[in-house]
Amino acid sequence: MNAQRIGVRALQQVVRPNAFSQNIPRLMLASLQTRGAATVKVTPSEAQTILASQRLQRPVSPHLSAYDFKQTWFSASVWTRITGGGMTTALYVFSISYLAAPLTGWHLESATLATAAASLPFAAKAGLKLLVTWPFMFHLFNGTRHLVWDLAKGYKRPVIHAGNIAVWSGSLLSALGIACFL
Amino acid sequence: MASALRPMLLRQTALSAATRRAATVPASAFPSRVTPFQSTIVKNAGRIAAFHASSRRSLLPPGPQVIKGTVNDAVPVPDPVPTHGSYHWTFERVIAAGLIPLTVAPFAAGSLNPVLDATLCALLLVHSHSGFQSIIIDYVPKRKYPGAYKISLWLLNIATVLAGVGLYEFETNDVGVTEAVKRVWNA
Repeated sequence: MNAQRIGVRALQQVVRPNAFSQNIPRLMLASLQTRGAATVKVTPSEAQTILASQRLQRPVSPHLSAYDFKQTWFSASVWTRITGGGMTTALYVFSISYLAAPLTGWHLESATLATAAASLPFAAKAGLKLLVTWPFMFHLFNGTRHLVWDLAKGYKRPVIHAGNIAVWSGSLLSALGIACFL
Repeated sequence: MASALRPMLLRQTALSAATRRAATVPASAFPSRVTPFQSTIVKNAGRIAAFHASSRRSLLPPGPQVIKGTVNDAVPVPDPVPTHGSYHWTFERVIAAGLIPLTVAPFAAGSLNPVLDATLCALLLVHSHSGFQSIIIDYVPKRKYPGAYKISLWLLNIATVLAGVGLYEFETNDVGVTEAVKRVWNA
């Protein structure tokens, strides 16, 4: 083995691939790489403003297009509230008007109201009765259903589906019957 | 010698190419440290919006975003007070359940006697009041609209008292609610 070959041999020893030498380019690159995540110092009030603006980008709670109507869905639930609110408004408006009647000169006694109702044609009477009866019937039926749910019963999906159909058709049919035949 | 140096040369070539690539990537790919965070959000709005697959429905437009404390505080859990919680909940249900026989009975009996009629009116009033309270609590939340919340609740209190006095007047001066409904119905 001459001197030249010894030199080559030594060089080969140095550059023989090993775990360190193979990773040199990657290590050098790592120092050049930058990540997109930058931190910025903000004051608490600025942070609040940013959070508020981010929250405004979120979907709003009754996000109807995100609903899967085939899943368990208390479709009629909000109508209980709507009908209840409507009937409460009617009750409050009537009783406060009755209280104010002596001051305003209105006649809201039951006799006057009955006479006024008697003078209406049948269609108007039935229409007005339906307007009163359907919310009442719906609120009664679905309210009862909610009371049953509050006892932690009737949460199976087929039961809920059957209940939806029963409440809608039952309230409409019974309201029609009461408005037209009672 | 040449065969020994070849791998080293290859690596150097690959390295220089990669370095050039890194150096020539447009600067916009790396947000500058002086750019405020908010403008980063605005710049990336399109990219962020792509993740929201469904369209926005502004049924109830979001109100002012009120954040108490710092950004990442945990939600304060109020102390459990049964009179505001479970007792109140049970009380509401008892009233609601009590209204079922009281509203259905007149259909069978034709009308109610004055005591039952007064009971019906009282329960209706309490049920209406607590129902409307829930509506206000849900849709005019205290943390977002503290002023409107307070005003709404007080307006409701006043309306309930006035309606109660009105119902009392109707019960004492007239024929009673169920009998009045019957007379108007059969008119």
